[in-house]
Amino acid sequence: MKYVILIHSNPQPWGHPTADYLPEHQALPAAERNRLNKDFEDGFAQVVERGEFVHAEALGAPSTSRLFRWRDGDRVVADGPYAEGKEHFAGFFLIDVETQERAEQIAGLFSGPGETVELRPVMSGGPED
Amino acid sequence: MAGAGFEDVWRREAPHVLAALSRRHGTFADCEDAVQLALVAAAEQWPRDGVPANPAGWLLRVASRRLVDQLRSDVARRAREEKAARLDAAAPAEIPAAGDDMLDLLVLCAHPALTPTSQLALMLRAVAGLTTAEIAAGLFVPESTVAQRISRAKATLKRAGARFAPASPTELPARLLAVRHAISLLYTRAHLAADGPRATDPLLADTAVRLARALVRRAPADPENAGLLALLLLTHARGPARLDQQGDLVPLEQQDRGRWRQELITEGVTLLERTLPVGYVGAFQLRAAIAAVHDEAPDVAATDWPQILALYRMLDRVEPSPATALGLAVATAEVDGPAAGLALLDDLPSSGHRAHAARGHLLARLGRTAQARAEFRRAAELTRSIPEQRYLNRLAAGAPD
Repeated sequence: MKYVILIHSNPQPWGHPTADYLPEHQALPAAERNRLNKDFEDGFAQVVERGEFVHAEALGAPSTSRLFRWRDGDRVVADGPYAEGKEHFAGFFLIDVETQERAEQIAGLFSGPGETVELRPVMSGGPED
Repeated sequence: MAGAGFEDVWRREAPHVLAALSRRHGTFADCEDAVQLALVAAAEQWPRDGVPANPAGWLLRVASRRLVDQLRSDVARRAREEKAARLDAAAPAEIPAAGDDMLDLLVLCAHPALTPTSQLALMLRAVAGLTTAEIAAGLFVPESTVAQRISRAKATLKRAGARFAPASPTELPARLLAVRHAISLLYTRAHLAADGPRATDPLLADTAVRLARALVRRAPADPENAGLLALLLLTHARGPARLDQQGDLVPLEQQDRGRWRQELITEGVTLLERTLPVGYVGAFQLRAAIAAVHDEAPDVAATDWPQILALYRMLDRVEPSPATALGLAVATAEVDGPAAGLALLDDLPSSGHRAHAARGHLLARLGRTAQARAEFRRAAELTRSIPEQRYLNRLAAGAPD
């Protein structure tokens, strides 16, 4: 079963890994930050080792995006991001795991202070069993 | 000469070569690496020089040499050096008479220390002889992910002290259970889009059927092996009618039964008729029997629903599961009316998209249209299959059932 883990974030300035640029993360004592980073690295190393990691990409700053909309019968192209959005799509990971529980366990690795993480199943081209 | 010819030959021979090498030298992971290297050498040399007269012997000779090189290069391990010296003297030139090596490999690949997806990846490479690229294409993951799963699986087997050896009579039944589940999982994955636009899936579906056949050939005394093969054949038979020209899902009730593969139905039914009276009746035989009743009916109305209901009741005792509970409710609705089926569905502890879809169908038959559409909408939200979602959304929009 494939899932995407979507990282929503609003780092200032925009940068990856997003946690390093988040005030909530920066406010933590160094020991705590190190522990969180290590937990993530250990956990994710296991994801890779188990053959569950499929693909990941970090995305450029929301200010570099172009938005395509349709209005009054015409295509309208504008600079991003959505003015109203407080959080932006920062990057994604594609994983392939045995169960929903395992997917949730892995998504949990990505959640830290100031981050919002979304787990969504991937649709398949055919009926399930 | 066509490339496919070479691939067929080594796909057929590789498992026997691996089994012969493993039986002689024990360490499965090293032997598997050596066989892969021999296949690489074959891919280079055979198209140039032609297929050797004894392809299995050729592969075994090259793999043995690679294994020796590998062991020698590990200079830090003195014990291995000694082993390499012994090996060198006894490099085999002939494949021993084929015993149950296919079965032994299957049993090793279905080792309980491995996760189901790792069992699958290992089985596809070691037993079915598929390349990492073919496995990756079939499972829709990158090659690096498959390679990772295979190397981790081999490391796990090594740590668990798993050896290539015939399983003992006491542990064989449990291991066969795992083998059957892995083959069935493989078929299910392949079946997802077996008749869709994805060209790689038929290879996996056919591989699953081939492995099930091999299992029956090697361990014919276990009636559940025949049950698994019958189930795959009877499901495979409906393949051509499952999707319409747009790639949309056609439900069983609306499939053009004239397009079902009659020869597979006959084979599956014959297998079951031979197996069912033999004794222990397990879940695979029961699921195959249910599939056979569907496959033999000329249309939905003429389906022997009381028999399907009886089979689901037996299955519910042998191997209760949410899918079985759902089948039981649907069969009950056909025999005792939609209200009776709905009552059973209301009792289901968890309701996935299938349960919502089934509720939708039964509510529609009771004339409770608004509720039916809400159930179809919920089912469409929950499914992860795009064809199924299109079908459920059509029903939710009020299309004729």
